[in-house]
Amino acid sequence: MPTLMETMSTLTPAQLRSELASFITDPYLTYRQLRDQTPMNHVVLPGGIVPGIDEPLLGWALMKYDDVYGALRDHDTFSSARNPLVEKGLFPQLVLIMDDPPRHTRFRRLVNKVFTPKRIAALAPWIASVANELLDEMGTGEVDVVQSYTIPLPVKVIARLLGIPGEDYVTFKHWSDTFISSLISISVEERMQNTQEMVAYFGGMAAARRAHAAEDLITALVEAEIEGESLQDWELLGFCILLLIAGNETTTNLMSNLLNILVDRPELWRQLREDRSLVEPVIEETLRYESPVQQLNRMTTREVEVSGVRIPQGELVTVFFGAANRDPNEFPNPDEFRLDRDLRNHVAFGMGIHYCLGAPLARAEAEITLNAFLDRFPVITRGHAPALRQTASPIVFGFQQLPLVLGVGGQ
Amino acid sequence: MRLVIDHRRCRKTGQCSYLHPELFKAGEYGSPIVLVEHPGEELREAAEEAVELCPSGAISLVEDEGSSREEGS
Repeated sequence: MPTLMETMSTLTPAQLRSELASFITDPYLTYRQLRDQTPMNHVVLPGGIVPGIDEPLLGWALMKYDDVYGALRDHDTFSSARNPLVEKGLFPQLVLIMDDPPRHTRFRRLVNKVFTPKRIAALAPWIASVANELLDEMGTGEVDVVQSYTIPLPVKVIARLLGIPGEDYVTFKHWSDTFISSLISISVEERMQNTQEMVAYFGGMAAARRAHAAEDLITALVEAEIEGESLQDWELLGFCILLLIAGNETTTNLMSNLLNILVDRPELWRQLREDRSLVEPVIEETLRYESPVQQLNRMTTREVEVSGVRIPQGELVTVFFGAANRDPNEFPNPDEFRLDRDLRNHVAFGMGIHYCLGAPLARAEAEITLNAFLDRFPVITRGHAPALRQTASPIVFGFQQLPLVLGVGGQ
Repeated sequence: MRLVIDHRRCRKTGQCSYLHPELFKAGEYGSPIVLVEHPGEELREAAEEAVELCPSGAISLVEDEGSSREEGS
């Protein structure tokens, strides 16, 4: 059976969108089929989708755990800074995630301290109060937890850290969704307009903080100096956009995947209610089993051999976190959700210098959420409306709709 | 004070050797190695920062003699 990646270049745009949607809904089938053959070429972007890119844009897919871990730790060879899609103006250049040392190091130092486990622990009571407000509004019975809970919570949290009004979260969510949508799913014009809206919004916020300082991250960025120099405009805006997007897409998906896994495991739900020490391992295994971020790209700065395959200099490499986290050589019985494995080694937050800055925040939000649900609901079951996976972006894995029946009584 | 890595907690992310190369280096399989076991005054701040930034909570500064202040979890 030909795989998506092999047939991609021969499909019409409509077929492509449909094929891509089924890949995004369940990428694990493709990973299982292809993992042993990787590193192999795959189509990052088919030709003719984006004006100016007529030939397919090819890359190398890495899906084995050791290859993925090795590439993520070797940032000298696998660069994050040189991205052909940014060079073509399709994405704004973000700081950190699309950068290499030495600038990456300076920026990471600048924001690291905002996201330390200790700083996040201090925010926990406030995060719990937002969680409980959302749960109060939800009530009981059938609820789409994506719209009612897993979207608003992370957006409200990151909005507060940045210092932007949390009520605008519907707009923020739209911006992030559009940003991470595949180039096949939305038009270049829509993408450009989206970027312009974000730049205008955060430009306005930055100007306001220059006039009146506040206790928030935007103020800190406005006032920050790296080696005696203020941040340039694109750096400051790139920071805000990165934090907004990274701060909500990923955590939304983590919490949706978590609830989706648990709704089918009533026995585990019961155990969790009695023994909260299981909360942390359940979250870590969720991160491995259904990783919120499935893939990111790198570019080789020199020729390199990966699993015996020679990858030339200057080539795109797609690192599949989701595939590595199901590699049977690293995780025996990888397609089973189990707590009796070494839960430290998953690469859901990446590895190496780009290891997710917000990991402590994501973990805290997931933990607070699970505890709050466990406190309130003795039982959760599926709703009548169908659960729907998101299908717009292969970068992330999550839900656009997840109806659950939240029960307070013993059903 | 002694700089200690708890290898049972370490996730091998490489953050310590990246941000504090004066204190740590990455070993062959990604595991960190402590370069300066007893950081002096000039490295004290860096060592404390490394403890704070470790995403695995695996780094600690412990008293040299006798009573360990490591988390006992």
